[in-house]
Amino acid sequence: MSTPTLTVLVADDDTTNRLLLEAILEQEGYGVIHAEDGREAVEAFAQYHPDLVLMDVRMPEMDGYEATRQIKALSGDTFVPVIFLTANSDLESMVRSIDSGGDDFLPKPYNRIQLQTRINALMRIRELYNTVHSQRDELRQHQKRLERERQLAKRLFNNIVHTDVLDRPNIRYRLSPMSLFSGDILLAAAKPSGGLHLLLGDFTGHGLAAATGALPVSSIFYGMTAKGYAIAEIVAEINARLLTILPVDMFLAACVVDLDASSQTLSVWNGGMPPFLIYDAERRQVRQRVASTHLPLGIVADEKFESRVEMATLRSGDRLFFCSDGVLETPGPQGERFGNARFDALFAEELPAEDLFDELLHRLQTFQADTRQLDDVTLVEVVYDQQLLELGDATLAAEGGRGGRADIPPTSWALDFVLEADMLRHVDPLPPLIQTLVDLQGFRGRRQQLYTIFSELYSNALEHGLLGLDSSLKDQPNGFARYYQQRDQRLSALAEGEIRIHLRHRPEAGGGCLQIRVEDTGSGFDTERVLPSLSDNLGKAGRGIQLLRSLCEQVHFTDNGNGVEVHYRWG
Amino acid sequence: MPVSSSVSPDGKEVTVHVSGRFDFAAQNEFRDAYHGVKAEDGVRFVVDLSRASYMDSSALGMLLMMREYLGGDSADITLSHCSEEITNILNVANFQSLFKIA
Repeated sequence: MSTPTLTVLVADDDTTNRLLLEAILEQEGYGVIHAEDGREAVEAFAQYHPDLVLMDVRMPEMDGYEATRQIKALSGDTFVPVIFLTANSDLESMVRSIDSGGDDFLPKPYNRIQLQTRINALMRIRELYNTVHSQRDELRQHQKRLERERQLAKRLFNNIVHTDVLDRPNIRYRLSPMSLFSGDILLAAAKPSGGLHLLLGDFTGHGLAAATGALPVSSIFYGMTAKGYAIAEIVAEINARLLTILPVDMFLAACVVDLDASSQTLSVWNGGMPPFLIYDAERRQVRQRVASTHLPLGIVADEKFESRVEMATLRSGDRLFFCSDGVLETPGPQGERFGNARFDALFAEELPAEDLFDELLHRLQTFQADTRQLDDVTLVEVVYDQQLLELGDATLAAEGGRGGRADIPPTSWALDFVLEADMLRHVDPLPPLIQTLVDLQGFRGRRQQLYTIFSELYSNALEHGLLGLDSSLKDQPNGFARYYQQRDQRLSALAEGEIRIHLRHRPEAGGGCLQIRVEDTGSGFDTERVLPSLSDNLGKAGRGIQLLRSLCEQVHFTDNGNGVEVHYRWG
Repeated sequence: MPVSSSVSPDGKEVTVHVSGRFDFAAQNEFRDAYHGVKAEDGVRFVVDLSRASYMDSSALGMLLMMREYLGGDSADITLSHCSEEITNILNVANFQSLFKIA
C-alpha cells in the first residue's frame, strides 16, 4: 500500500530523466520536488525535508556523492533513504555511493516496477528504523526518570541508614557498589553507656527489595541502641520483624558487635556471615575468630531463635575485621573463588595490623586479574581505641531526644520499682525504665545522662550488692572478661534478692530535681571503709562513683552500702 | 536438565537432583520438582547435590521455600552428597539446624 503523503526529492541534471522519474512517481501518488544539481539538492532537502531522495551521480556544482554526504549529515537522527541513479553498475561507483551514505541503486533505464519495489523496501526499513528510534527515545526517558528516582531514593536511604559514627577515624569500610542499593548493609551507633554497636548484614539478593528490608533493620538497630538495649535483644527484635515482613526465601545474614568501652569487652552475634576476626596488633596474629553459630535473621520464630552472644576481651590497638561473603566469593579468571584459604593465609602472615585492610583489597583485585571493579565486596575495619569509644555522639543525643516529648513541663510525681530475682535473671530493666521516665517527663533529651546514672546505680546494686562480685578483679590481666563471666554465671544462678528503685520528682525553676534511691537486699559493703578509697580511686573500679558525682548534686550511701541516693537536677 | 526428581519404589522417599549451578536461574525448575509430588505423611525428601557445582544465597532461599511448602518444622528434608564448598556455605548459614545434612 503506497502512502500518498510521501515526498520524494529527485536530483538529476538531465531534464529528460528527471521528467520521466517525476511522471512515474506522481502516478504512484508521491509528492515530488526536484533539483538540478547537488547543491540545489542539499538546499531543497534542508527546506522541504523529503522522505526519500533519488540521486544522480554526475551533476554540475556538486556531485551526487558529496550531496549525499551533506544530506545524511543534515538528516541526523532520522532515516532518509538515498537511492543512487546509475547508468552502469560498475563496482567502483557502487562502492563510492555506499561510502558516501547511499542506501540503494536504481539502474538506468528506469523501470516502474523496480523503482516501486525499491521505494517500498526502503520505506519498510525506514518505518522499522523510526519505531526502534522512538522506542529508544522512550526508553531513554524512562531510564532517565528511573535514574533520578533511584538517586533520590538512594540519598534518602543513605540519610536513614548512615550515621556520623561511621565517619569516625577508627572505622574504615568499603561497601559493595554492586548495585545502587546493594544487599549489604552497614550500621554503627554509639551506646548511651559508651561504646559502639555495629551491624554488618547481607540480604539475599540486592536492589530495591533488600533496601526496603534494610529500613526496619536500621530503625530497630538505632532506636534500641539509643535506648540502651543489648545486642542480644536487638537481634531478637530484628529477627521477629524480618520474619513477619520478608518472603520465606529472603533473609538477612548479619554479624552484630557490641564494643563496650567501660568493660573493654566485645560481644558478637554472628548468623550466616563469614568469621569476625580480632587481630592483635602487637603480636600480629588473629587472637579470636568468631564464626557464624546462628541462623541468619528472618528465618525462625522467636521460640527457636538463639540470641546467645560470644564474648572476647579487647586490648587497645586491636583491629576488628568483618566482611561479607562477597570477599570470599570474589571470582578469579578461571571461575575459582578467593575462598577461605587465601583469606586466612593473609591474616597468618604476621603483617602490621595497619596494612591488612589495604593488602586484602589489593589481593582481591590482583586475584580477580582484570580491571573490573571489585563487585560485591564489603569490608569493615574497626581499631579498638577506648578514648574514641567514649566519645559522645550527636546522633545519639538526637535519637535519645526523639524518645520523649521535649515540651512536658516539670511536674511532681513518684514511682517505685521492685525488681525480684527471677526478673533480674531474665530482663535488663533499664531500657524500659528509662523509656518510661522519658515518656513521663521528657527531660529535654537527657536520655544519655539518665542512662549513665541509672546504669551505674543499677550495676552497683546488682553486681556488688546481690552478686557479691569483687571490682578489684578488673585490675588483673584478663580481669574484665573473668569479671563478666562470673557476673553471667552468678546472675543466672540468682535465686533470691531484690533491687528497689524509688523515684521522686519535683519541679524547680526552669527544670526539676529527680531523687533516685536504689537499694538492694545483698550483704552490702562498709561505707566508712570503702568510700574514701572509692572516691580517690580513678581506676576502673571507682570510675562509676566519679561519674555519678559529676552528674548528680548529691551522692549518699546508706545502710552499709546497700542503698544509694542521688539528686539529679535538670533544666 | 539441571533439576529432576525421582520417587523410590516404595513411594516413601522423593529425591530432587540438582546439577550445575544451584542459583536463581534454577528457581522454577527446583520448585516444580517438589510441587508436583504429593507430600503424604512419612514421605522423606532428599535434595541430592552431588552434581551441584555451586550454591548461592538464593539457593538457600529456595531450600527455605521447599521446607515451608513441605510443612516447615515437620518437613523431613535431607541435603545429601554436599561438596566441601557447599557444606561450608550450609554451615555458615547454620542450615544444619533446619535440614539434615548427609
